[in-house]
Amino acid sequence: MPVIEVEELRRTYSSRTGLRRSAKKDVEAVRGISFEVERGELFGLLGPNGAGKTTTIKMLITLLLPTSGRARVLGFDVVADAREVRRRIGYVFGGDKGLYERLSGLDNLRYFAELYGVAPKEQGPRISELLELVGLAGRERERVEGYSRGMRQRLHIARGLLHRPEVLFLDEPSIGIDPVGARELRETVAALVSTGTTVLLTTHYMFEADQLCDRIAVIAGGSIVAEGTPAQLKERVADGHVVEIEVYGDAGERIDAVRAIAGVTGVAVEEGATSQLLVVRTSAAAQVTPAVLGTLDGVRLGRVATREPTLEDAYIELVRDV
Amino acid sequence: MRVLRLVGVTWWLQLKMRSRSSFDGILSIVYPLFFATMIFFMYGQHGDQEALVAASVGAACMGVWSAVSTTASTTLQGERRQGTLELLVASPTSFPLTVVPATISMGTIGLWSLVVTLLWGRFAFGISISFAQPVVFVVAAVVLAFSLGLVGFLEAVASVRYRAAWAIGSLLEFPVWLICGFLVPLDALPDWVRPIAYLLPPTWGVAAVRDAALGGNAWPDIALCLVSGAAYAGIGWLLARRLVDSARMRATLALT
Amino acid sequence: MRTSLRIFFIGGMASYRALFHWLTPWILIPTFVVAPMFELLFFAFVGKDAGVGDNTFYLMGNGISSAAIPCLFAMGNTIANERYTGTLGLLLTSPARRLPLFLGRALPVILNGFCVSVVALGLGALLLHVSIPAGDWLPILAVTAVASFSCTGLGLVAAAIGLRVRETATLSNIVLGVLLVFTGVNVAVNVLPQWMQSVAQVLPMTHGIEAARELAAGRSLEDVAPLVRDEILIGLVFVAIGFAMLVWFEHDSRHHATLETA
Repeated sequence: MPVIEVEELRRTYSSRTGLRRSAKKDVEAVRGISFEVERGELFGLLGPNGAGKTTTIKMLITLLLPTSGRARVLGFDVVADAREVRRRIGYVFGGDKGLYERLSGLDNLRYFAELYGVAPKEQGPRISELLELVGLAGRERERVEGYSRGMRQRLHIARGLLHRPEVLFLDEPSIGIDPVGARELRETVAALVSTGTTVLLTTHYMFEADQLCDRIAVIAGGSIVAEGTPAQLKERVADGHVVEIEVYGDAGERIDAVRAIAGVTGVAVEEGATSQLLVVRTSAAAQVTPAVLGTLDGVRLGRVATREPTLEDAYIELVRDV
Repeated sequence: MRVLRLVGVTWWLQLKMRSRSSFDGILSIVYPLFFATMIFFMYGQHGDQEALVAASVGAACMGVWSAVSTTASTTLQGERRQGTLELLVASPTSFPLTVVPATISMGTIGLWSLVVTLLWGRFAFGISISFAQPVVFVVAAVVLAFSLGLVGFLEAVASVRYRAAWAIGSLLEFPVWLICGFLVPLDALPDWVRPIAYLLPPTWGVAAVRDAALGGNAWPDIALCLVSGAAYAGIGWLLARRLVDSARMRATLALT
Repeated sequence: MRTSLRIFFIGGMASYRALFHWLTPWILIPTFVVAPMFELLFFAFVGKDAGVGDNTFYLMGNGISSAAIPCLFAMGNTIANERYTGTLGLLLTSPARRLPLFLGRALPVILNGFCVSVVALGLGALLLHVSIPAGDWLPILAVTAVASFSCTGLGLVAAAIGLRVRETATLSNIVLGVLLVFTGVNVAVNVLPQWMQSVAQVLPMTHGIEAARELAAGRSLEDVAPLVRDEILIGLVFVAIGFAMLVWFEHDSRHHATLETA
């Protein structure tokens, strides 16, 4: 049985606008999505801002009621059995909110240990263990208002794990933390998954998703536009290669000509300080590269390189048209 | 058992938090002293010691209501602002049970205010209270603080949707001081006010504290204070449940 | 009422919404009309119970002191907002236009305080059945305006301190508490110990409240002229002190970098 089952889940927000708040406006944040997550899996939900990721998570953790459709976590319905769901899941979001600033890290954990009904005898050892895990041991008696962003985030993780949840929801956990912190976070998440915890993660960082996730759903405009393993997603966009060409000066309308070459599946332009980088996706790099270079004849070129497509290439392709 | 421990621990941590805020903590204790000072000067003018002693007990109780009423109305908005409201709702603990300890901690701060006001009267104005029944006095004061904390719980959930919630606290402060017999005896007020006063737990709590301090049977008033406080908590409980349901429907938990 | 502002300061001040909040009837009526009425009724009843003062005494004291809240807090609000928007530095570094700029900011505050007082006096007179001859109201209102001005002076000082002290809400409430106790709002100044009477002489409102009580008792504006003059003088002194402190703290903050920290 899948740990998370989502069927045709839909959520509409109504807001009243206008001077007299008479005009009712409906916004469809999530438009009937379905997916399943198996036990022990690390499932990624990727998508641009406003795509519906957070709305989906909030329905799954029982903070929002779905407008229609249904979702079950560990076999419990998120609407009918909310309490049962809450007992078994953990929720961690990114950013520096969600903590009691005037309490120490330790007291924050004690507070939530109580709310999650962690047995009194178990609380002490569990909290020490978690402080060790997230690297806050020794700092736990300081007030949170003095914590750095990375420390806050690690405290959040510890809070989310207090009651040994079977499923952990991580909503953009690495937002705003430095690269070292982000790497430690990824290691922590990977370690959790290896001990059997099921994780649903949303993130903006493609390498993070690529490195961590077993499976990914790309969500855009409230719908799932692609789903699969990172490798499958990469193949879906470009089952061949990516050619990167550094261009000095203005390639201008020639880019359209490049796009028209048979075998080219997509061209993206990244503006640099003194040059542009043409990212050409193709099914067969060996045949296409000469044609592309020919089209650019007369323009000063720099480095030309062929590489494997990354998840980011796939992602950009997927969400571009939505 | 689990509920008692939950309320106890979260109450203690909320109290810790509040005591560390110069605004919620220190001011809640210092500010009533300004009012007590005025009241001591007013009652002291005729040299009537008995009236002054009664006023000092009443003024001390004023601080309890003040500490609760002015902070309860904004407490949930405060949780929302710091992003913890969602976490409280997402926890398996029933939502009202996560709010009650917070408002009881406000009553506890008020208890400090009560003690400090009595000491202020004793040392700055020489008002000495004989404390007819010291143990009953302590019980009555604790029941007052607890019961007003329950009223504060209703206030907290009732005002969460009101954008200007902070204004509610100030609106409730003086009327309750006026009609619940903190200083002015109930029979000095218009007849139509009395039934309202009887419905308010502070009326019974203040009467109990005064009886215990000055001599009189405080127990019936202590019981009535508890019962009426529990009734307010009951209404608050139902309201809080509805509030969470509607917030899940309308997505208002995270809005600031 | 003071408590509402105490909350307002913490909850709303830091956000721009505060500015708009200030203007809606949802705030104006509870804060500036209803709460002062309850405060007045409370002290009038307590006074009756204690056997001191009469309704006119409490009407004048509480009516005029109700201006203190907008005067103290709104002035602080104005300065703090300049600070949050980062324009305070700009404001203070344009030497030629400082004084008119600050006066421009103070004027609406004074007006706000005055209006609150007028409403409190009018409604309070109705509720407490205090009848004052129509002709006596005009000088009372003049005194009210003067008291609002001098209170705003103190508000400017509090606002300046607010540039230095993080806990402005706590500070402003303590200033307000001192005003209520010392200036004869509910306790006649001559009842206070000597040292408190001395302090009262240099605080705003003391003379204004006394003048209003004399006027309500039938004296003429000429009779209370010295009191009114003192009230104006005290107001001017506080404006000067507040202004000097603003300039000095601003100057000093360049050394300590305290100005831009919210």
